[in-house]
Amino acid sequence: MKTLLATSVIGDARLLAGLDRGRLDRQAHLWTHGAQPQLTRAAYAELCEAVGLKGRGGAAFPVARKLAGLPERGIEAVVVNGSESEPVSRKDRLLLTLAPHLVLDGATGLAHALGAPHVLIAVHDAEAAQSVREAILERDDRLAIEVTETPGRFVAGEARAVLSALEGGPAVPPGRKVLPTQQGYHRRPTFLSNVETFAQLAVLARLGARSYSSTGLSSEPGTQLLTVAGAVRRPGVIETPTGVPLETVLQYTGADAGPVLLGGYHGRWLAQTGVTLQGVGIVVALGTETCPLGEVHRVAQWLASQSAGQCGPCVFGLAGLVDDFDRLIRGEAEGWYDAQRHLGLVPGRGACAHPDGAARFLASALEAFDDDVRRHLAGAGGCGRPVLGVLEVTHG
Amino acid sequence: MARLEIDWTRCDGHGLCATLLGGDVALDEWGFPVLKGREITAGEVPDARRAVLACPALALRLDKSVKR
Ligand code: SF4
Ligand code: SF4
Repeated sequence: MKTLLATSVIGDARLLAGLDRGRLDRQAHLWTHGAQPQLTRAAYAELCEAVGLKGRGGAAFPVARKLAGLPERGIEAVVVNGSESEPVSRKDRLLLTLAPHLVLDGATGLAHALGAPHVLIAVHDAEAAQSVREAILERDDRLAIEVTETPGRFVAGEARAVLSALEGGPAVPPGRKVLPTQQGYHRRPTFLSNVETFAQLAVLARLGARSYSSTGLSSEPGTQLLTVAGAVRRPGVIETPTGVPLETVLQYTGADAGPVLLGGYHGRWLAQTGVTLQGVGIVVALGTETCPLGEVHRVAQWLASQSAGQCGPCVFGLAGLVDDFDRLIRGEAEGWYDAQRHLGLVPGRGACAHPDGAARFLASALEAFDDDVRRHLAGAGGCGRPVLGVLEVTHG
Repeated sequence: MARLEIDWTRCDGHGLCATLLGGDVALDEWGFPVLKGREITAGEVPDARRAVLACPALALRLDKSVKR
């Protein structure tokens, strides 16, 4: 198994249970988790409401509300979004690769409850796709289950882009804002969520609300998967109770001191210490050896290259910001002023949330690295540190 | 009550909307419209509709469903 799939657990192992021995085939899965109970739609709604389950793809939308938005008479499809386009994240492909049956249990259980004849799984990683295809052959779900490989570009992971790709169209978000619950797969009502959400549903169906809530925050109990990367001794995917202190995760994974990025390249650089983690998914430690602004500039270039090229303000705005950061790093104060202006022009002006997320990431960098900005603007070779490439951007 | 909306996948920055609706649309440094986000009152709807029809890219829309 590749090292990037290293797993560890703080507290209860739920989603990652049994994975220390590698991939769980059907038998090992049943041995570890037991059989998936058949629940009704009402039971799922009640369970999700009781534990406050939220989607684990980043948007943290309450699953109970998503269920309530679906028509009673049945829906077209349940879609598992495994496109995991955030370059640092590994948790979804890890689940699909090592615990495919848990994800399939969650998706097929819900499909039966919602009266959906199709289960569609969008995957971008070849190894993960293979693992799910093998798992499907080991089961008999009386449903049409399909695995589709989607492109890896950042924006291709957006829910509506995934639906478009599943229908054979381009993997870009459409210009109109439609809700998948109303107009999803082939414009019919669809339940779409991220891979981890379905694994959580499978665990929740087995444990019931009370046992599920025996760990984590009282407002949003249970466990969560985090991908920990960057300047850490033990990178990988880690399962923790919700609300775990960041410090605990950093210590456990052997992170170097220095700035921390939460939530990946649409996320935020941390301004304060003492935070707890929920609804985050990605923790990146930067360490102190590399130039933070140079690292951010590399990511900005990557973010600009990931724009689907559809929307003017996103294309020109992100390209402008790359140039602004470049000048800022070389000590030109104009770069800083232009960046501030461009950061105001980008959010909310695209067909998807990519410009908003990119601007959030860049704005938080300017705030968190204020001291470094000053050092660069003071001239004389910036902060004196090289750009080591701690922030990974090459992933296709 | 209505509000202007832009389909950013279509808009190619002709800037015509800013000429027709100067009070509601400005242009950014690349020539793309910046909406002021104000409610379009019933009396202004005809003008707004004219601008929507004039948009060469069919990108400008008048959304009447918003109630915020
Ligand atoms: S906002 Fe940017 S990333 Fe999103 S669809 Fe438009 S051009 Fe593509
Ligand atoms: S007229 Fe249409 S295409 Fe031109 S800037 Fe306005 S919305 Fe965009």
